[in-house]
Amino acid sequence: MYDNDADRRIDISEPVMSRNDRFAAENRKFLTDRNIYTLNLISSPGAGKTTVLEVMARFFGPGMAVIEGDVQTRRDAERIERAGCRAWQIETGGACHLDAQAVGNALEHMEMEDGTVRLLAIENVGNLICPSGYFLGEDMRIGLLSIPEGDDKVLKYPSLFSTVDVLLINKMDLVPHLDFDVDRVVEECRSLNPDVTVFTVSARTGEGMEEFCGFVESNIS
Amino acid sequence: MAKDMTRIIGRTLGRKVNLERVNVTVGPLSGISPESLRFCFTEIARMEGFGEPELVITTTEARMVCLECGHEYSASDFYQCCPVCGSISRRILSGRELTVDSVEIEDSAE
Ligand SMILES: Nc1nc2c(ncn2[C@@H]2O[C@H](COP(=O)(O)OP(=O)(O)OP(=O)(O)O)[C@@H](O)[C@H]2O)c(=O)[nH]1
Ligand SMILES: [Mg+2]
Ligand SMILES: [Zn+2]
Repeated sequence: MYDNDADRRIDISEPVMSRNDRFAAENRKFLTDRNIYTLNLISSPGAGKTTVLEVMARFFGPGMAVIEGDVQTRRDAERIERAGCRAWQIETGGACHLDAQAVGNALEHMEMEDGTVRLLAIENVGNLICPSGYFLGEDMRIGLLSIPEGDDKVLKYPSLFSTVDVLLINKMDLVPHLDFDVDRVVEECRSLNPDVTVFTVSARTGEGMEEFCGFVESNIS
Repeated sequence: MAKDMTRIIGRTLGRKVNLERVNVTVGPLSGISPESLRFCFTEIARMEGFGEPELVITTTEARMVCLECGHEYSASDFYQCCPVCGSISRRILSGRELTVDSVEIEDSAE
C-alpha cells in the first residue's frame, strides 16, 4: 500500500510563475537590444492610466509607443493614437491582467525596428491584484492611485505596491474636495517598499506631469 | 494562475489523468488567497481533464531584513515590524512564491 502511494506521487517542484518569467526575460532582451525603455502601468479601472499616457504622448511624441491591455475594445488605443503615438491593442478576452507572452506577441507585430521608439508604455488591465505577479519585462513598474479611490489602498493591495518602482498619485485636482491624506499614502508605500519614487500629478490639469515625464526621460539611455 | 498550474502538471505528466491530490506551497506575500486559489483550481482542473483533486496548500513564512538594525526575521504578512527594533522599514527577501510541489494520481486511474 505504501509502495503504491509512493508510486502514485509525482514530484514537480516548479514555480508557477516560471513560465511567465521566461517570457518576460525574452521581452526584456528584445527591448534592451533595440534600446527601448519600458514602463508597466498598473491601477484600478478608471484611475487615469490612459489620460496619463495621453499627456505623455504629447510630451514624448513619436519616440513613444504604447501597448494597451483591455478586456475588450480598442477605445484606449484610439485615444493614444489621437494624442500622437503609435498604439497596439491587446484584447485579453476576459483575462484580468496582461501576461508576458501576450506582450511578446504584440512586440513582434509592432514594427519598432527603425529606431525611432525609445520608450514603450504598457497600460495593464485595470486591476490591483492580478497584474502584480505577472512581470512583463518592464524596466519601470508604475502603480497609479487616484484620489477618489481613498487613501487606504496601498496597504490593502500590498502585493502590488511592494513591487512598484514609482507610485504615481493622480487626480490631485480633486484633493480639495475629498478626504485623502497624501502623506499617509506615501509613508505606507515606503514601509512596504523603501526604494519607491513618488510623484503627485493631475493628468487633467497637467500639474506635476512635466516632473514625472522628465523623470522617465532621465531614465532612458 | 490556476491555468498555469494545470499546464505545468500536464507537461510533467505528459497526459491527462485523474488526480487525487495536488500539493502546492504559497508564500504569504504572493497576494494569493487560498480560498480563491482552491476555487479556481478545482474548476480548471476538472475542465482540463484532471478529475477533482484536493488542493493541499502549505503556507511558508516570508523573510525580511530590517533596514534600521539589520536583523533578519520571518513574517507571515506584509505588516509585521522588526521584532528587535520595531521598525517597519525593511526589504523583502522572500515570500512571494507559488510552487507546484507534487501531484498524486488517483488509484483507479492506473
Ligand atoms: N479630475 C480628474 N479626472 C481625471 C484625471 N485623470 C483622468 N481623469 C478622468 O478619469 C476617468 C478615467 O480615466 P482613464 O484615463 O480612462 O482611466 P484608465 O485608468 O485608463 O481606465 P481603464 O482603462 O478603464 O482602467 C476619465 O473620465 C478621465 O477624464 C485627473 O487628473 N483629474
Ligand atoms: Mg485605460
Ligand atoms: Zn530592526
